[in-house]
Amino acid sequence: MAGISIKRLSKHFGSRDTDVAAVSDLDLDIKDNQFVTLLGPSGCGKTTTLRLIAGYIVPDAGTIHVDDRLVSAPGQVVPPDARGMGMVFQNYAVWPHKTVFENVVFGLKIRKIPAAEARRKVEETLALVNLSGLEQRYPNELSGGQQQRVALARSLVVEPDILLLDEPLSNLDAKLRERMRTELKVLQRRTGITFVYVTHDQAEALALSDMVAVIHGGRLQQYGTPADVYSRPANRVVADFMGLVNLVPGTVVAARNGVGTVEAAALRLDVPVPDGAVAGEAIEVAIRPENIRLTPANGQRQATATISDRTFLGNVSEYYATLASGQVLRVQTHPLQLFAVGDAVAVEIDAAQCSVFRRSPSDPVLLSSVDGAPQ
Amino acid sequence: MDAQVTRAGDTAALRAPTGFRSAQRRASRVRLEHIIMGGAVVSLIVLVVLPLVFLLAGSLRGEQGLSLEHFSEVMSGRLYIAALQNSLILGAWTGLFSLVIGLLLAWAVSRTDVPAKPLIRMTATLSYLSPPFLTAIAFVYLFSPNAGLINVLMRDIVGLPWLTFNIFSMTGLVLVTVMHTFPFVFLLASSALQSVDASYEEAAQILGASKLRTAMSITMPLVAPAVLSGTLLAFVNAIALFGSQAIIGLPGRVVTLPTRIYALFDYPPEYGLASALSLVFVIITVAALYVQRAFLARRSYVTLAGKGARPQLMALGPMRWVLFGFALLVFVISIVAPYSTLVAVSFSKSWGLDFWKNLTLANYRFILFEYNVTQRAILNSLMLAIVAASIAVLLGAVIGWIELRTRVPGRKLLDYASLIPLGLPGIVMAVALIQFWLAMPLALYGTLAILLLAYVGRYIPLGVRSANASLRQVDPSLEESAQILGASWTTTMREVTLPLIRPGLFAGWLLVFVPVIQELSASILLFSSSSITLAVAVFNLYETGYTEPVAALAMVNMVIIGIAIWLAYRVGGGGIAARGGREGAIG
Repeated sequence: MAGISIKRLSKHFGSRDTDVAAVSDLDLDIKDNQFVTLLGPSGCGKTTTLRLIAGYIVPDAGTIHVDDRLVSAPGQVVPPDARGMGMVFQNYAVWPHKTVFENVVFGLKIRKIPAAEARRKVEETLALVNLSGLEQRYPNELSGGQQQRVALARSLVVEPDILLLDEPLSNLDAKLRERMRTELKVLQRRTGITFVYVTHDQAEALALSDMVAVIHGGRLQQYGTPADVYSRPANRVVADFMGLVNLVPGTVVAARNGVGTVEAAALRLDVPVPDGAVAGEAIEVAIRPENIRLTPANGQRQATATISDRTFLGNVSEYYATLASGQVLRVQTHPLQLFAVGDAVAVEIDAAQCSVFRRSPSDPVLLSSVDGAPQ
Repeated sequence: MDAQVTRAGDTAALRAPTGFRSAQRRASRVRLEHIIMGGAVVSLIVLVVLPLVFLLAGSLRGEQGLSLEHFSEVMSGRLYIAALQNSLILGAWTGLFSLVIGLLLAWAVSRTDVPAKPLIRMTATLSYLSPPFLTAIAFVYLFSPNAGLINVLMRDIVGLPWLTFNIFSMTGLVLVTVMHTFPFVFLLASSALQSVDASYEEAAQILGASKLRTAMSITMPLVAPAVLSGTLLAFVNAIALFGSQAIIGLPGRVVTLPTRIYALFDYPPEYGLASALSLVFVIITVAALYVQRAFLARRSYVTLAGKGARPQLMALGPMRWVLFGFALLVFVISIVAPYSTLVAVSFSKSWGLDFWKNLTLANYRFILFEYNVTQRAILNSLMLAIVAASIAVLLGAVIGWIELRTRVPGRKLLDYASLIPLGLPGIVMAVALIQFWLAMPLALYGTLAILLLAYVGRYIPLGVRSANASLRQVDPSLEESAQILGASWTTTMREVTLPLIRPGLFAGWLLVFVPVIQELSASILLFSSSSITLAVAVFNLYETGYTEPVAALAMVNMVIIGIAIWLAYRVGGGGIAARGGREGAIG
């Protein structure tokens, strides 16, 4: 089994005029036997990182080690065919001119495994991915999910130490995606192979991974467990990408030893603050919609708001609550808790679950943040 | 698909109750579109189907009624078997060399870092568009055994007689033909190589397959259908070229099917034998094209992919210059040599080693202002090409419209019928037209009209394909929204459909114009002194030994083609030549 160690990795694409940094200065330590997800929006450099690990691309700077073996450095790259990794492509890349059996047995033939043994291994692997009996089918006779599993079997049959997966579920419908997600997780636990999984779907990343690496603009934003990156985002980019969030501008009132009081949109919150935060500093408070509680207003010393919009989503109800300051909060509550538009409500925030980021005037307005009235 | 079909009947039914006026309009609308559609169907039958029926009938008409005597003679006569053999040998060698050259260049352009890729692409396009009989004539000027310039140079000046080359041979014929046919493989192979998704190859690589193993077990099988299909097109086109086979083959006593059929029209003409031999010829080309279509149908899986990255280019190192040298050699042999030779000859008083001492414009003066045969030929060809291209495109538009926008029963059959001429060598088309029109009470033989029929019939597939491709770009809802506003069929056509497909139709028009202006294979049997065409005039002048004026006339031919191609690039953005490469009718 094998771990991967990436140090100061950079890769630029394009000519002198249109130079784009796909990956800059990336450090990542992937432990043996882990399920690690590279998460980020499209174009963030996650696929480039994966292709650098596979050896399809030569880095401009930095190194990649597998265990203690140097596999990638500028001008010194072990070719993909000598890395002993497996890879599942976004479009599966199941060869259309070969049957399921021929697809899966290909890697064994390359390794000169005797035919009888190869046949046994192919059958075992196809059973593992629930494809037994489809050996003689051609890919065009298979559904998308089945093709996806052929691709998986083709990578697994050669028993790689490392399996790279490039958005393998993105072409499947929602139900199937859910099921394959579970199967992948079980498979990884059972085989002990190190999985490096690329996706733009944060729910998928949270559900599957031991560790999540959030990448944005070619840079690693945060590397941690799913719970960590969700509840303790390192910056507003991560907070925003890991699900719905209210980013409320405010200022620090007092701060000591990493804990402080902030005032944001007429709310006073005792929250963890960034190191070195001082009173008067401009900040942003990230509040997840599920960490806000609404109760009927009762005139006590509470922050109050007016319900300006309501959406029933099935498992939750979503409200837009406008505070006295005009700040709108997006709130998710139990579906049975019902308020009507125009109702006055008291707002309670679970401050321990909030994150505070330094604010600079140049920060862009993020898409999912709620700054004004509901659209 | 159903939603895409204009339900003319339904709309009419919905409108009928709205009043007398619209009922009246509906009646006239239905009549006009039916007349136009019916006219297209009848034209297709007269142009293609009936001549083929008469060809078949003629081949079966013996001394005493129905018999197979012509076929048995064609299958046993020494002359015919030799012609058949030569055609197959020519086709096989040409196919093989087209495969090697086309695939190598396609691979170089789409997968390596070879320099000067635009030059390679241009070489293929120009080679495809150059009239093969003009290339043949140019090579005779260089390599005819006694007077060919390079042969004279090697033998008499350099003193290396073993470096001479006799163009009048099967080798020479293959050489000249390959220059015209390798682009078929090149165009199909390069587009296939570019459309293979990189992830197919990367998947093999990460499983441990070397570059060579990946190429052999993944890439080759994926592009093989396209490559084989290009090779078969090269084969079919090679054996159908009358011009080069007459100019190079006959002096070398290499008689092939087209030249044998041509010889059967020497007095007294052997119509029955010519028809039977033509049918044997058609069977070969149709069989090859059938296999080719089957290959191409399997190709679908190459284009299925497409989301992944483009294949990475292979760095060849110093080898790239070797490959570049090969491409340059192809460029020199197929473009530079023939074109510069024709230019040089056209300005010489007398072609020979010291031709440059006596340059003259007399040849141009002769063919343009003094000799009424060549003047007539130029005018005839221009007129025929303009009219034939217009008719082929208009017919194509109607046939394409019927196929895509109506539910007329048998519309698929119509589409197939319009593709038949793709399998007909030009000379076979001529034999069929002769059989048909000699049996008709109209005296068309030897007139411009029969040439026009031949050209429209031969190139109708190009018209249909262009119209089809353009119509597919126009969403039926655009037509339907005109109809719902009350526009009649004619108004919808005039205001919506035709303006939208006009650029495509113009491209198709040029696609027909270019081959018509250089058409020789059918014209050679159909012309008379009053209806002589440009290509026939070149051929006749050449046969009569007017060496230098031939070159001048060839240059006129090239200039006309050049203008048309230039226009095509201006209008169609360069896609036309490539499209022609896949759809082109055969010699």
